[in-house]
Amino acid sequence: MTVPEHQTVEGSDAQLHVEIHQPDEGTGPDGPTRPVLLLHGFASSSKLNWYDAGWLTALSGAGRRVITVDLPGHGRSGSPDELDAYAPSRMRADILQVLYDSHVRPFEEGNAASGVDLIGYSLGARLAWEFGATQPELVHRMVLGGPSTQDPLADFDLAGAQKYLADGTRMSDEQSYSLLKMAQMVPSNNIFSLLSMIEAIKSEPFTPSEAVPHMPMLLVAGEKDELAATMTDLAGLSPKAETLVLPARSHTNAVTSRAFKNAAIDFLAEHP
Amino acid sequence: MAEISFPLPDLGEGLIEATVLEWLVSEGDQIERNQPLVEVETSKSAVELPSPQAGKVVKTYGEPGGKINVGEPLIVFEVADDTAGIVGTVPREEAPKRRVRLSALPDDED
Repeated sequence: MTVPEHQTVEGSDAQLHVEIHQPDEGTGPDGPTRPVLLLHGFASSSKLNWYDAGWLTALSGAGRRVITVDLPGHGRSGSPDELDAYAPSRMRADILQVLYDSHVRPFEEGNAASGVDLIGYSLGARLAWEFGATQPELVHRMVLGGPSTQDPLADFDLAGAQKYLADGTRMSDEQSYSLLKMAQMVPSNNIFSLLSMIEAIKSEPFTPSEAVPHMPMLLVAGEKDELAATMTDLAGLSPKAETLVLPARSHTNAVTSRAFKNAAIDFLAEHP
Repeated sequence: MAEISFPLPDLGEGLIEATVLEWLVSEGDQIERNQPLVEVETSKSAVELPSPQAGKVVKTYGEPGGKINVGEPLIVFEVADDTAGIVGTVPREEAPKRRVRLSALPDDED
């Protein structure tokens, strides 16, 4: 089910593509259940990060209702011109709007239909951390994949990328170059929107200690995920954070891991 | 009984090979259509491939870390003879029933 595209929103319409998926028949408990919101990573999309990687099948089969949202400039969402649309604070406000439009209501103890669970990967994990900290009345539990104490995008060589795209000048920073090449491989990505997002992220870098979420969290990363090397430090900020390391997995291929999916599903199903 | 082999499908965007990450089924398993089969990684992303077929898994190709080219064998199933058909064709089913027509005018075409 696709949420109607024309909604009443505060400020300008974020043009985000949202989908709501009902659980497989006969899998969930009777009655309405709390949805799971999935937040994908930078230069990915709900399709690549969640559908193609098998998360929709796994969550629907476990009886969970799922909400997916493509970030601006990603997947099937619009690519607004204004830089402000890509700011993490604006994206979190738009995610809040998406949840209200999806009839998510504040979490109440003992009400299995109230609140929302979050699963975020990479940039989606950063957004989930901040969202959990600022919206404690909505978020029940969350799972953060490939998380880090710093946003790796804040170090991206933006000027170098713009020059490379304009006239092919070689980028000196290898990590920025490989990230740009990866972003260009996905046809649904608007590359100029992605650069706007990086610019906006540089102006709002991730400072996880500034606001720490208080709900239970599971942090998951591949053993070979260099971008998530600081996961343990991030977990150390919260008394309610657990961690799971996936043997032999990297930042790219941890997303399909069956162990990751099973751990996430079990963790979100725990109470309270 | 008959055996049906499925190759690694086209994963799109000119990708010609994939690396096996983890098999989610084992030889001898009886599996359903669309059940997750295997995780593979391309140069672009990691994906989980659903089974195109229900049946018993006879053989899987590729150990974790191994590469498979698009079009090369990925998995072999054992299925009942009457469901095997020819690979690449849609299994024969009963003739589709006529759809309910929304038009108010009678229509004799069949």
